Amino acid sequence: MATHAQAPMFVRVLGLPWRVALCALLCLTLMAIDARTQLLDHLRAGFTTLLHPLQVQLKRPFLYLGEAFDFFQVHARLLQENRQLRAQREQLSAALLQHEALQAENARLRALLALAIPADYRRIAAELVQIERNPFAHKVVIDRGSLQGISPGWPVVDAQGLVGQVTRVYPLSSEVSLITAAEQEVPVQVVRNGLRLLLAGGAPDRLLEVRFLDKHADLQPGDLLVTSGLDGLYPPGLPVARVLSVEPPRHSPFARAVCAPLAEVDQGRHLFVLQRMPTSGGGRPAAGGV
Amino acid sequence: MNLDNVLSPRGPQLIAPAGARMVYGSLAVAFLLGLLPWPAGWRWLVPDFTFVVMLYWNIHSPHRAGVGLACGLGLLTDMAYGTLLGLNGLLYVFAAFAALSVRRRLENFAPPGQALQLAPIFLGKELALLLLGLAVGQAAVDWWYLAAGPVAALLWLPTCLLLHRLAGRPAAAPAATAPQPQR
Repeated sequence: MATHAQAPMFVRVLGLPWRVALCALLCLTLMAIDARTQLLDHLRAGFTTLLHPLQVQLKRPFLYLGEAFDFFQVHARLLQENRQLRAQREQLSAALLQHEALQAENARLRALLALAIPADYRRIAAELVQIERNPFAHKVVIDRGSLQGISPGWPVVDAQGLVGQVTRVYPLSSEVSLITAAEQEVPVQVVRNGLRLLLAGGAPDRLLEVRFLDKHADLQPGDLLVTSGLDGLYPPGLPVARVLSVEPPRHSPFARAVCAPLAEVDQGRHLFVLQRMPTSGGGRPAAGGV
Repeated sequence: MNLDNVLSPRGPQLIAPAGARMVYGSLAVAFLLGLLPWPAGWRWLVPDFTFVVMLYWNIHSPHRAGVGLACGLGLLTDMAYGTLLGLNGLLYVFAAFAALSVRRRLENFAPPGQALQLAPIFLGKELALLLLGLAVGQAAVDWWYLAAGPVAALLWLPTCLLLHRLAGRPAAAPAATAPQPQR
């Protein structure tokens, strides 16, 4: 390179205009070559390849910066999303609980429908609205009354079996005495051998008992008791209870059997009131109450 | 009176010529600066750093930075940016020629004055680049890229401040008769 830009000391050193012209010529030549042919592409490619790692390195701090920025942005977004999801999860779990409850209720209702009842009886669906607070009362209140055609004495069943009978009727509700009530007695029959018994409520722990049992009676724990229908009140064949234990006589000449009611006397919510249809009516009426 | 010092110049301070490392290092840094991943939306505002620094050395250190260097830098720029090879080379050469022709006069001006006088070169370079690109077959050019010229002229001031300081040169123009306050 020349040391003096404008005043050449030696003849061999080119003056500025000459050098400019030379460089310009070189550039023009290169331009022409580059524009017309692909000869310089290799040169360009090689240089770009050399430059590429450098560019990558130059880009790196910006990438890191961008990533850090993104990180905080994403963090904030995630926090917000997390909060939203948490709230949503609470809502959903509440909804799910409700759903499960509904499913269980649905299952119970289906079971209720599946209970075989005598052909000349008609079901009136009822829902339990109130349980008497008095633990000795053994009474519940259902949401059907005389306006729905309920009359005293009608049997009330649930999915498993006999629950009790209607003892008092109000216009819009009725009182049902459970079979576990002390004053309730149900004439039953042992399915295994047809032995007829009288099942009375009033035993502790919401159990039923057979009070005056012949000490030689063939009654065993596990026996299923169904209504015998002898009283004309309950239809025959409704499952009532299962024998838990038979106690031999101790202070009296009679043995005693303790039975557990099959119906969910203190659990169910949906009940059926059974209405006896006149047998001469011909066929089942339209289900008005269901 | 200090007799040892009697022969030393009384005028403005003499300036040592910038070293080769200084010149080529600053040019390399400027070149890399141009290669930074500028946001695509603002690229039209990004000045040609290499060009600015090259002109600086053309004016202040012509024995290091002549037309040959300008030609080489232009070709490097062409290769780095994928323009037609020789396009920027030609412009750099002519710009260097212009700068070398007026450098004696320019040295007497402070950086703002220099920037004002160099602005036509900066703008002309961008304009010529676009026109030549149009001539050699670019379908359409984005005239917003002309803005890089004025931006380069504005960049002249910080470039001068920085390189003056790095080269150990007083901020004021060295040939100015009246001593100017140091910055």
